Amino acid sequence: MREGLLLPDFDRINTGDEMPVLKKEPVNQIQLVKYAGASGDFNPLHYVDAVGKAAGQGGVIAHGMLIMGFMGQAVTDWIPNRCLKSFKVRFMKVTRPGDAITVSGRITGKKIVDGRGLISGEVAAADQHGQVKAAGTFEAWV
Amino acid sequence: MAYILHKFKAGYFDPEWTAGTGRTIMTGGMAVGSGSHLVGKRFPAYSFTVERGKIREFAAAIGDMKDIYLDPEKAARAGYRDVTVPPTFGTVINLWGGMGFLEMCEYLGIDRVKVLHGGQEYEYLGDIVAGDVITVTTTVSGYAEKKNMHVLTLECSYVNQNNEEVLRSRHIVLELK
Repeated sequence: MREGLLLPDFDRINTGDEMPVLKKEPVNQIQLVKYAGASGDFNPLHYVDAVGKAAGQGGVIAHGMLIMGFMGQAVTDWIPNRCLKSFKVRFMKVTRPGDAITVSGRITGKKIVDGRGLISGEVAAADQHGQVKAAGTFEAWV
Repeated sequence: MAYILHKFKAGYFDPEWTAGTGRTIMTGGMAVGSGSHLVGKRFPAYSFTVERGKIREFAAAIGDMKDIYLDPEKAARAGYRDVTVPPTFGTVINLWGGMGFLEMCEYLGIDRVKVLHGGQEYEYLGDIVAGDVITVTTTVSGYAEKKNMHVLTLECSYVNQNNEEVLRSRHIVLELK
């Protein structure tokens, strides 16, 4: 690893350690339009209310990848990007405008691989009612 | 699965769904059990130049404004050649560099109104920074038929201008029956 990176100390990370919780502002339609343009995902389900209504959702729903983006933000607030080895997410429930996403996670394991510390963790994004929208895992070299 | 897209009527949203593509997108989807022929199918390769402005736009859309995404000097101090990208930036490379969502559905012969994103996985092998030219190859690596859906897995390999593989991804595409 290069200098200038603040690395988590392998010896001080333990299974069960909680990741700092990231509380996002409620998702709104402007954010969905911004994310559509930024990501290139122009599925109108995410910005045309009539499409969301016809889909039985009552209106637009957020891009799953936006929620994964929040989860990636939380993980890399804690562990430098360059340490990340893998990041995997399953999408479980839809997120609607007004939903306030909170990302939490914890360390699930640590081991030495090829002389380097490798930690693994789980991460989940839930709304203000505690409904889990997406859940996944990550691994990081430390 | 909470995405109830099967309530869509195929073709109902054609004016929006085809916007910008200038053509009609096929609907209808796979016949039951017919997706296995897709396994091994390779998409045409494409390249995407990573730009500072695109990284900033993507970071801002998520609300993840880390210095290493925005400030070349601070990125350099952290050991990067230029500003780097958030962990989910691979999706930008896919959708702006290669096929859009509608085109992908057409290419695979799946019904766009029944398609859901089931999951996404990334494996990080090297840095991606502004100025890099990333070439992506995509393969359909798996197909499974479940009770109420078809599950397709697309795998991408992202190689930079120095022929270094910097990222791999796996995209789980669900097509509801």
